[in-house]
Amino acid sequence: MRRLLAILILYLPWPAFAAALQIVLTDPAGRALPDAVVSAYPVRGAMPPLRIAGPYKVAQQDVQFRPAVTIVPVGATVSFPNHDRFRHHVYSFSAPKRFELKLYGRDESHSILFDKPGTVALGCNIHDAMTAFVRVVDTPFAAKSGADGALVLTGLPPGALRLRVWHPRLKGHGNETEIPVTLPATGLRRAIVLPVRPA
Amino acid sequence: MRPRFTHLRTRLTVAFTGMFAVVLIVIGLAVQMAISDTAERSVARDLNAGVIGFERIWSMRSDQLRQAAGVLAQDYGFRSAVATGDDATTESALHNLRTRIGIPTAFLVKADGGVAGLDPRLAASAAPLAQNLEDGQSEGIVQIGDGLYQAVAMPVRAPTLIGWAVFAVRLDGDAMRALTRLSAIPFDATVLRRDARGRWQGGGAMPPELMAGLAPLDGRKSARLAFDGPAGRTLARTEPLAGFDRAQPALLVLQYPLDAELAALRSLQYLLWGIGAIGLLAVALATARMSRSITRPIAVLDDAARQMEAGSAVRVEIMSGDEIERLAGSFNRMVAAIDERERRIGHLALHDALTGLPNRALLRTQVDTVLRRCLRRGQQVAILGLDLDDFKGVNDTNGHGVGDALLARVATLLSEIAGDAFVARLGGDEFAILLECDGRQAPETLARTIVARLAQPFRIEDQEILIGTSVGIAMAPGDGTDRTTLLKNADLALHRAKTEGRGTYRYFEAGMDAAARARRVLEADLRQGLQDGAFELFYQPLFDLGSNRVTAFEALIRWRHPTRGMISPLEFIPIAEDTGLIVPLGEWVIRQATREAMSWPAPVRVAVNVSPIQFRTPGLLATLVDALARSGLEPHRLEVEITESIFLADTDATLATLHSLRSLGVRIALDDFGTGFSSLSYLRSFPFDKIKIDRSFITDLLHGHENIAIVRAITHLAQAMGMETTAEGVEDAEQLAALRLEGCTNVQGFLFSRPVPADQVVTLFEMSHAPVAQAA
Repeated sequence: MRRLLAILILYLPWPAFAAALQIVLTDPAGRALPDAVVSAYPVRGAMPPLRIAGPYKVAQQDVQFRPAVTIVPVGATVSFPNHDRFRHHVYSFSAPKRFELKLYGRDESHSILFDKPGTVALGCNIHDAMTAFVRVVDTPFAAKSGADGALVLTGLPPGALRLRVWHPRLKGHGNETEIPVTLPATGLRRAIVLPVRPA
Repeated sequence: MRPRFTHLRTRLTVAFTGMFAVVLIVIGLAVQMAISDTAERSVARDLNAGVIGFERIWSMRSDQLRQAAGVLAQDYGFRSAVATGDDATTESALHNLRTRIGIPTAFLVKADGGVAGLDPRLAASAAPLAQNLEDGQSEGIVQIGDGLYQAVAMPVRAPTLIGWAVFAVRLDGDAMRALTRLSAIPFDATVLRRDARGRWQGGGAMPPELMAGLAPLDGRKSARLAFDGPAGRTLARTEPLAGFDRAQPALLVLQYPLDAELAALRSLQYLLWGIGAIGLLAVALATARMSRSITRPIAVLDDAARQMEAGSAVRVEIMSGDEIERLAGSFNRMVAAIDERERRIGHLALHDALTGLPNRALLRTQVDTVLRRCLRRGQQVAILGLDLDDFKGVNDTNGHGVGDALLARVATLLSEIAGDAFVARLGGDEFAILLECDGRQAPETLARTIVARLAQPFRIEDQEILIGTSVGIAMAPGDGTDRTTLLKNADLALHRAKTEGRGTYRYFEAGMDAAARARRVLEADLRQGLQDGAFELFYQPLFDLGSNRVTAFEALIRWRHPTRGMISPLEFIPIAEDTGLIVPLGEWVIRQATREAMSWPAPVRVAVNVSPIQFRTPGLLATLVDALARSGLEPHRLEVEITESIFLADTDATLATLHSLRSLGVRIALDDFGTGFSSLSYLRSFPFDKIKIDRSFITDLLHGHENIAIVRAITHLAQAMGMETTAEGVEDAEQLAALRLEGCTNVQGFLFSRPVPADQVVTLFEMSHAPVAQAA
């Protein structure tokens, strides 16, 4: 469905001032890297306004956060509904947003406002294996790679861009790295190999 | 070099003890090796066990650390503190944990490389851990500061990885010792870490020999080492340990000196050597004892053999019932046999084989013994020297077999007569009797008995044999006190008895010795005189009664002695005959006479006397021929005068010689006729040219009828046989007249001339013609 959408986007007529950036992410072994977030910042020109769509939701189901990676714009509110029969204790020690949702049960939901950009790692104090990330971005151009490691950023102004690439296992400070890119008006397809820690 | 033993016993003892010692040493060495081997294997096994134990403890402690680290890493508050960068809380939590569970080293390595909970001085050395942790390493040996640690790390997630809780135990001396307390032997355990340059570090005081052995190891496999360290031979075992940094492996080294293991076995070794030493001593004593019992009989034999060698008669008694007893038996028989043989040899050496009487050698010792004994007691000792008269004639006439039988009979007879006295045969027909004059038997009585008994005829092989004996007696101490003198004096007395008519006995007298000595001196002078030409010839004319002329001269020898002056032939001719000097002397006479006669007018002859001894020498004929040839004298002018005693020996040989002389043309005269045997058969057997009538008849010619008759008979006989006659010793005219009357053809004597020196011969010859003719 998502792939179809991507194809549609690719072939739809596009305003002349906007170009598409297609990125495929792999690890050094050549495997596709899903759940990587790429956010783009035009070097010149004004940043278009953020659009806070929603609702943003990170559910807990089958002792897992779903989805594992969620992209939200700064100022968005994310709800944490519990679909499991037992309780979770969701917490974040991440600098952009520290919070703790102590032991709440089935179908209980709490909402948290993410007001600073950055990555917020979510954990459950009861279930160590549960991990999820909320990538809080301050740009309208951000996308998450699919299972095939591919993503498309659309509506970008051609010209110089700074790409911030984040992945939970990416080596480096904050698990992110910055890559400069010059986007031609005709668009760009770019393959990026990310140095990631073994899963 | 081969050891030399003077005793068989020592040799046996040394050999057996030595053998046992060698066996002991071999066993000892084998045991020693076995012990060493066992010890080595035991140490190796213990070291292996040590390694296993260490690994078990290692993993146990690892689990412990992991558990503790896990607890910490899970702690919500701790994670919160770490995640929010609250270092004070983090360190406080780490401190709390260290004290609570007693883990001295616990710290946090943050994902960004920071280190919390560690002394700031050590923090820097721990920082590189982050890289290893990042690579997924969770345990291993790590170096923090100077120390090596066993470390375990647990990730701290919140929920993403924000760091690692690292719990570590320092592997210092105490920790390692604690480890070895659990093992069977107190080995020395050390952990080493390979540094960036590939060298093993962290051992503290490790023996350099061991370090050298470890150097080539890469630490990926276990290894065994053996080295000679400060504590002696040491075994080591290494086991690789995971390093926190894979590039820097660690090594567990266990070492244990073999001596320490052997120390436990040392008492066993001492015991073994002690038993060996006692055994050796026991064997030495037992062997010495046994070999003494074996060799004692041999020593007895050895000793006996030495005694036998020294000349004493020995007999060994060994009752061992074995070969040695049989050997002793053989030895005894051998000793007896040698003894018997010695006796026989001794008897032979001291006795005469023919008669069985003691010989001269035994006589000598016997004389010595008896002399010593008797002279000490003041007794007299007599030595009787005996010599058979005419024994040579018996041998010549009756053969040696009869001669030997006669000697044996005489010996038996002498022994019978002598009784207790000591009878010896000195050789040939000489005997001697040693008589101790203890009064029982007087030497004179014995001598008389012997002379009388031996004068009686013996009957041997159907032949009647008549001999006699002469006896000389010397008495000790009167005639000498030593053996040599006594024997010599007895011999002198015997000589006197023989010269004074045989068949009698004589006591030694002092003069005999002097006479004998004078005789010896004369003999020596005679030899010297012969060399020096001290002799000369005098000539006495022979007057022919038919022609009234001197027809010949008789050569008479004279000796001009350098100190004694002229010496008569009567004195020195017998000595010359006894000593054989008569031969060269006679030769000289022949040569001298023929040479001097050459100056005389022919046909005057020269007459020379030839002694019977000279006559028997084979050289006589050659001498005559040579003398005639050299002088040029015609043979018929040479007259050889012989006496009838030449016929006493081999008559055939005598006649042959006479005929040979005759064939030369030499005239032959029979001298001194009328004395001795004067057998007429001699005259028949050989045609002499002349018979010389002995002077004894002429001297008394006018005093008795008988002498005239004898002279007449001789002249008539000679006339009948065609022989000339010469009367010797004519001293006065009456005698000459009587002889002429009786038909004697020649005369010789002082009436005509004494013997004159050679230079007066010719004068005498010339002078003689007229006066003598007138006198006649």
